[in-house]
Amino acid sequence: MLLTRRNLMQTALTLGAMHAFPGLTWAQARPLVFATFTGSWEEAHRAVLVPAFRKAAGDANIVLDPMLSVDQIAKVNAAKSNPPIDVMLHDPGPALQAIAQDLVEPYPVDKSAYYKDLIPAAQEAMGPAPFFQVVGLTYNPETIKTPPTSWADLWKPEYKGRVGITNMNSTLGTGFMVELAKMHGGSESNIDPAFKAIEALRPSLAAVAANPGQLATLFQQGQIDISPGNFNAIQILKARGVPVEFVAPKEGAIAFKTTIHIVKNSPNKELAFKLIEAALSPEVQATLMEEPYLIVPTNTKVAMKGEIAKALAKDHAEIAKNFVFQDWGKINEQRAAWIERFNREIRV
Amino acid sequence: MAATLRDVTTYDLKLAAPLAAGFVLFFVTPLVILLALSFQTDPQGGHYGLSQYVNFLGDRFSLGVLGSTLWLGVKVTALTLLLGYPVAWLHQRSPGWARGVIMLFVLLPLLTSVVVRTFAWVVILGRQGIVNASLSWLGLIDTPLKLLYTEGGVVVALAQVQMPLMVLPIITALSRIDPNLADASSVLGAGHWRTFRKVILPLSLPGIVAGCLLTYAAAITAFITQSLIGGGQMLFMPMYIYQQASTLQNWPFAAAISIVFLVAVLVVVSIFNALGRLSRGYANA
Repeated sequence: MLLTRRNLMQTALTLGAMHAFPGLTWAQARPLVFATFTGSWEEAHRAVLVPAFRKAAGDANIVLDPMLSVDQIAKVNAAKSNPPIDVMLHDPGPALQAIAQDLVEPYPVDKSAYYKDLIPAAQEAMGPAPFFQVVGLTYNPETIKTPPTSWADLWKPEYKGRVGITNMNSTLGTGFMVELAKMHGGSESNIDPAFKAIEALRPSLAAVAANPGQLATLFQQGQIDISPGNFNAIQILKARGVPVEFVAPKEGAIAFKTTIHIVKNSPNKELAFKLIEAALSPEVQATLMEEPYLIVPTNTKVAMKGEIAKALAKDHAEIAKNFVFQDWGKINEQRAAWIERFNREIRV
Repeated sequence: MAATLRDVTTYDLKLAAPLAAGFVLFFVTPLVILLALSFQTDPQGGHYGLSQYVNFLGDRFSLGVLGSTLWLGVKVTALTLLLGYPVAWLHQRSPGWARGVIMLFVLLPLLTSVVVRTFAWVVILGRQGIVNASLSWLGLIDTPLKLLYTEGGVVVALAQVQMPLMVLPIITALSRIDPNLADASSVLGAGHWRTFRKVILPLSLPGIVAGCLLTYAAAITAFITQSLIGGGQMLFMPMYIYQQASTLQNWPFAAAISIVFLVAVLVVVSIFNALGRLSRGYANA
């Protein structure tokens, strides 16, 4: 073959195109795409869940594509007939949105080996919950000597100018507001008391973070001393030497189910099922319960141990007793309006 | 004979075709889709109308967000100009080796990610940060000042983060000025200040306008710095759009406010451009 300018250009263009659109060379078999969450979730899933899945699925290819729940929904919505994601991970609010928008398959419960072993709250036919997130009070033990015991402690005068909260964009922010509403006579459909309570909290507020991740930075910088916070996020901070402690308030820690779903029209349904089975298995859940992950297991065959048993619940019966689950179906109905209202009213 | 010579000073427009095609495919098309989306009256689609725009323009809160975003850009641009011009001036007046050092310091921020630069500002402005620590060590304050999550903090951080965009065009403009002009001015009896005001400043105006344009556009769309330094209660347009599109899944309203923001920015940009044209006329006069 002669090395003409034309030939060279063609080769260069083809190579360039293959580089720019790697999908061209995959033809049909694409790896399983699992949209996990960013940060510690991705770390935990890469280290524990992916190896377990590959063992169960004969070394099948899997790609982690970490992003927020709402971004997963947007991505799948944009290409419903040929979704770029096979398995989605969701907080309770977005999970119901995904189901309502017909983006997920029912989980093949009959085929599942582990579904029946899950605690009742985790048995969701449209996508089971392999993990819990737990929200309680977090505080700096160097400046707050007597640990707080109740959500109401945030209003104590001695914490004036030291309290942090997040806005309602996040599951944590919305869940916290609903809990406040319940404490003051409201409910999942009546948030007014929570807004009144936050109004009274205003002199104490040092910061309203844009997302829960920012709360971690604020603790590190000494900007806040007490805030509602996620159990797992706090363990990571603690491991890095930041003086911070978690305590479940006496009203009960708020628990969010993190559910895992097979995406409708996914070309990899069989592999997706195997991944979810791995996530529900006692082996994976027991490993994820240990340091440094400390993720609350939902499989009743896993005995609670370590920091989780100490700080949250000794066994699965205590989960049902100690944790507060919220009705996200009701919350979703008005959540958009609440977020708007929070934008307008809560200015520090 | 002359008629057969190829004109080498003009180029075939076809050379620009790949870029133009890419531009149409990946920029114009999404923009048209965005515009179409903004006319949907509800997120489920179906009806079309102007209701999203009416919602935005009839709402004092939303207009306030737009106004504060545009105003933030003005403040950042002014501060960047104030701090950046002397740097460019110094660069122009320094010997060769010092120029290299100054250029390195100007470019250094561009070599790190915006996220890293912004986190550095979180450390500087925090309660136990560098500013508060030095002030309390000097005995000037008893309790730490609140600097993080304030608008002043956002302005300062943005000004530093966007500084190269201002300094580089000004350096270019200053380097094109004939040094003899300054000498001529002083020979004719003008002092340093008058020479600067009457000769150097007008001649560097095109650089200033270009720098302001870049800084302004970068400052008002700086999602990361705005949300990390500004926190959750300081709402600017980029965060507002993100919140509507992502958290609330209200794409039509998000599209409408994106279009409003785009138009508002275009207006500001064309004002800058008009100033730029004026300044060129002034510089050539």
